[in-house]
Amino acid sequence: MSTLKHHPDTAMLVDFSAGNLSTAASICVSAHLHFCDRCKEELLRLDQVGSQLMSEAEPMVVEEQLFDKVMAKIDALPDTEAVPPPKVIDNYPLSVSKLIDYTQPGLKWRKMSGSVDVAKFKTGQSDFEVALHRIRAGGKTPHHGHGGQEFTVVLKGSFSDENAVYTEGDFLLREAGDEHQPTGAQNGECICLSALAAPIKLSNPLGFLMKPWLRINPM
Amino acid sequence: MLGTRIDFIDKEKPAISRTGVFSSEKRSDQWSLLLVAVGESRDRKAFAQLFKHFAPLLKSFAQASRHEGWFPGLSEDLVQEVMIKVWQKAGGYNPEKASATTWIYTVARNCRIDMLRRKSNTQHLPLENEDYWHEPDEETPVSLLRQNRSEVKVQASLGQLPKEQDEILRKVYLEGKSHAEASVELGLPLGTVKSRVRLALQKMQILVAPEFREEIL
Repeated sequence: MSTLKHHPDTAMLVDFSAGNLSTAASICVSAHLHFCDRCKEELLRLDQVGSQLMSEAEPMVVEEQLFDKVMAKIDALPDTEAVPPPKVIDNYPLSVSKLIDYTQPGLKWRKMSGSVDVAKFKTGQSDFEVALHRIRAGGKTPHHGHGGQEFTVVLKGSFSDENAVYTEGDFLLREAGDEHQPTGAQNGECICLSALAAPIKLSNPLGFLMKPWLRINPM
Repeated sequence: MLGTRIDFIDKEKPAISRTGVFSSEKRSDQWSLLLVAVGESRDRKAFAQLFKHFAPLLKSFAQASRHEGWFPGLSEDLVQEVMIKVWQKAGGYNPEKASATTWIYTVARNCRIDMLRRKSNTQHLPLENEDYWHEPDEETPVSLLRQNRSEVKVQASLGQLPKEQDEILRKVYLEGKSHAEASVELGLPLGTVKSRVRLALQKMQILVAPEFREEIL
């Protein structure tokens, strides 16, 4: 029985099902689904809504040659009999494994503070940033606020803040202006996936030193 | 495996035919068999039948898009792209998990997003949209019976929704507007949009355990 308690809200799951979430949010919702059977089941049902709306739509005549064009393209496809199954790294969600795999020559962990390391993913995108954060056992992160929406999913271990304890699979959304100070659990390190759509602001005077690593900065 | 599905449908027959949904449920089952035939034996005749049925629906789905950067000229490109993907991926289709219609809808949704992303970005993103939905070698822990019952329920109740709920679902799923965008367009508070969607989902009995989610209004 999973102990995870924090989920995306219904609106976010609906937007995910309809394909309307930002990439940053989608990556984190999908990571949460990897851990959460209930959300996964709801998503399957939400997809049925889209499916039903599509199948009730007024059919539109397509160009007469369209079928032949598609068959010609299919016949020209290279033989791809055996597609290797996607590589799963460290039992992480598939999207995270793919991002790790894509970040060549490998994830680079950098010290963000005494107890937090960060490794940014290469996404090829400039409008959001995705990273792993590693909080040492019992480590405190600098007190910080958020310049934009930040999505976090706990991948390993747990951490806590002023409001709650977050364990594997928990999904958190921080809105712009929210301030918090997460602390890693005493019994082991915690690894989180986070995606942000705009820069983080550091409220700790020491924090400004860390800015370059937190700012959206396409790699 | 298909047998389970058909048994279930037979049992539910009276209730389903009363609401007039039976024929479409049966039809979707026919599409599922055709899709399996494409996956298992590269059956071109089955594929042609699927194309005949789905291409006009996919075009309609594409034309409904109100995404920034989308224009009607892309619609038949999307139909082509989706049908080629259907051919390529049919081998991975599992009729126990979803009807062919739902499976093809998810392919179309993913293709639509990926097409938009390719248009708006010169840079390359390593993730295709389907990477978010696909988890390898994983049994979906959802009972087939519950899934089927849910599908029937959605079919039967979608047409019965009040206009203002139906309108928002269409905006979200067909036009591709987020809740936030829909709220701006309709001049309604975001909380109202969210609660209308939730009411609709409750009517269709889609929320598994609504109380476990902390709703942000």
